[in-house]
Amino acid sequence: MAKAPKLNSQPQVVTANHLLSGDVVYLTKAASWSRRIADAAVVANVEAGAALLAEAETQAKKNIVIAPYLIPVDASVTPPKPIQYREVLRAEGPSTEKARPAA
Amino acid sequence: MYEYDDIDQTLVDERVAQFRDQVARRLSGEISEDEFKPLRLQNGLYLQLHAYMLRIAIPYGTLSSRQLRGLAQIGCTYDRGWGHFTTRQNLQYNWIKLEETADALADLAKIQMHAIQTSGNCIRNTTTDQFAGAAHDEIEDPRVWCEIIRQWSTFHPEFSFLPRKFKIAVTGSPNDRAAVRVHDIGLRMHKNAAGEIGFEVIVGGGLGRTPFIGKTIRDFLPKQDLLSYLEAILRVYNQFGRRDNLYKARIKILVHEIGIEAMREKVEAEFAASKDGALKLPQDAIDQIAAQFAPPAFEKLSGISAEYANAFRTDFEFGLWARRNTFKHKQPGYSIVTISLKKEGAPPGDASAEQMNAVADIADRYSFGEIRVTHEQNLVLAHVKQSDLPAVFKALKAYDLATPNVGLASDIIACPGLDYCALANARSIPIAQQIALRFKNWERAHDIGELKIKISGCINACGHHHVGHIGILGVDKAGEEFYQITLGGAADEQAAIGDLIGPALNTRDAVDAIDTLVETYLRLRNSSDERFLDTYRRVGLAPFKEAVYAVA
Ligand code: HEM
Ligand code: SF4
Repeated sequence: MAKAPKLNSQPQVVTANHLLSGDVVYLTKAASWSRRIADAAVVANVEAGAALLAEAETQAKKNIVIAPYLIPVDASVTPPKPIQYREVLRAEGPSTEKARPAA
Repeated sequence: MYEYDDIDQTLVDERVAQFRDQVARRLSGEISEDEFKPLRLQNGLYLQLHAYMLRIAIPYGTLSSRQLRGLAQIGCTYDRGWGHFTTRQNLQYNWIKLEETADALADLAKIQMHAIQTSGNCIRNTTTDQFAGAAHDEIEDPRVWCEIIRQWSTFHPEFSFLPRKFKIAVTGSPNDRAAVRVHDIGLRMHKNAAGEIGFEVIVGGGLGRTPFIGKTIRDFLPKQDLLSYLEAILRVYNQFGRRDNLYKARIKILVHEIGIEAMREKVEAEFAASKDGALKLPQDAIDQIAAQFAPPAFEKLSGISAEYANAFRTDFEFGLWARRNTFKHKQPGYSIVTISLKKEGAPPGDASAEQMNAVADIADRYSFGEIRVTHEQNLVLAHVKQSDLPAVFKALKAYDLATPNVGLASDIIACPGLDYCALANARSIPIAQQIALRFKNWERAHDIGELKIKISGCINACGHHHVGHIGILGVDKAGEEFYQITLGGAADEQAAIGDLIGPALNTRDAVDAIDTLVETYLRLRNSSDERFLDTYRRVGLAPFKEAVYAVA
């Protein structure tokens, strides 16, 4: 697995998987979870990131999500775009299924 | 076909009920994720990038049409209408919800299937030749022995917490289609000088981070001693296998570190002590299981069927398909059909529910209602009358299942890779799709002939890249997907680990490199009978390496 880069003061969001569905989710400003990265709360430095992650971990303890973590994003575009390719795939879904009709 | 007895059914039903309860306790917060994870894995439920993934065991790759229809239904109800056949002769669903998993498992139990031993450090699903019971070159149906191993190993208390996962493969034929030399234990059936049938036992093969070709620990093992001998190997492994380091925990490392002679000594000592014990297989028990795999009611046929000969002559497309996708059967007048799940440009191994239902119907009509799954991610109809081949071709074609490319460059093995897998470095499926499209021209593809391309998205090697004639391994280079190429691997009776040709390439260059390698082969081969692998073995790495890095 590609190692998660160490985050500096750069735009970042918290992501996790939803416990019930397994879906990729992002922590929102309202401290809830959304399947769309567009809804994610973006923070810009290490301290705010740590606070966001602490909130997410509380929710993980309440069995809403599994294993939340911070990822760096490019916040100059809308919606914010993850820096790592792995996270782009998580945000957008498998590149292989786009072309294919639901059976 | 093997049918569950009461013990099997009760066990599987109980397991579903248990899991339902475990999920409820997880959701209520009674157990944490850390406590729950091993429980869900024991039931084949992994958390992947986008969703949960459920891995279903298909023992020795054999399915009834009823089971395949059931899998299609589960794919529709709990997934997005698809199933993905894997190199372990298993099926994976990529879009499973935790809250629905117990229901999916209950539906599976109704068709005598489950997800037990598809994860964890136990003896996994035993795999075998997809042509078992049908191939002309077979000595004996290896599924009988897979089933005996299954009954012995399922929930074996001593072997539920091995140092690491443990994979056994069996071939009943001298032409190894089950890759037995790259499994923890490989069993090859053969006849000794006295004409008795037994096993060559191979141990310590494996892929992953440290690939090894297995070594022969015993040339000939009488059949009735199989379980005693396997148990002796497992005991030695359990005692001496390294639990201190995840990467050194497979039996291949033990065999490598102490050497095959020391390994043999230990195993033989253990075996000598237990060989006439409770695990010695009585002939009537063997016969009872063998009866479950009795050949179907073949018709007595002779000569070449007129329908077949005629179609071969008049229908060019049929001829192409029959040449590539059918294989010689032991019963006169019958053929084995491989159904390609590798239409160029499609994800290797994927089948839609509609296709699964179609295959089930075709199997009912033309192949005794039985389907096989291959480790090369295709399906097989094992017993088709040659006179029915034109009709089977037509029926398959209607569902895009008649691509005439079995064993050709576009018949690629690819692991799920970064599109699905949480461990991946790079994507496997899209590069497989792009390469396959390069070989869509049937004339060129058939001229190139047998070429096995195998792709893994990380060093775990689920896509068998080490043993591909051309192997492709995804690596991460500063956040970009790169691919390393190896040449000269083989998974058959002359198994070999491929040689790395040079630095990794980006996606575009890697796809181009495959073309260059093939063109180089075409230039160098002595005749069209010399396969890519043969040419490589004759001329070595240098000309291929030069060609790739000269243009890249
Ligand atoms: C959930 C996704 C998967 C995970 C987490 C996973 C994990 C792993 C790991 C960690 C290894 C290395 C084992 C070792 O070297 O000790 C491995 C090997 C392997 N896996 Fe997977 N795998 C996954 C999917 C698959 C799929 C889809 C297939 C079949 C297509 C597969 C078949 C294999 C095979 C054939 C090997 C190499 C043989 C061996 O040495 O065990 N795996 N897998
Ligand atoms: S080889 Fe790596 S990327 Fe591919 S399925 Fe296995 S673990 Fe995942």
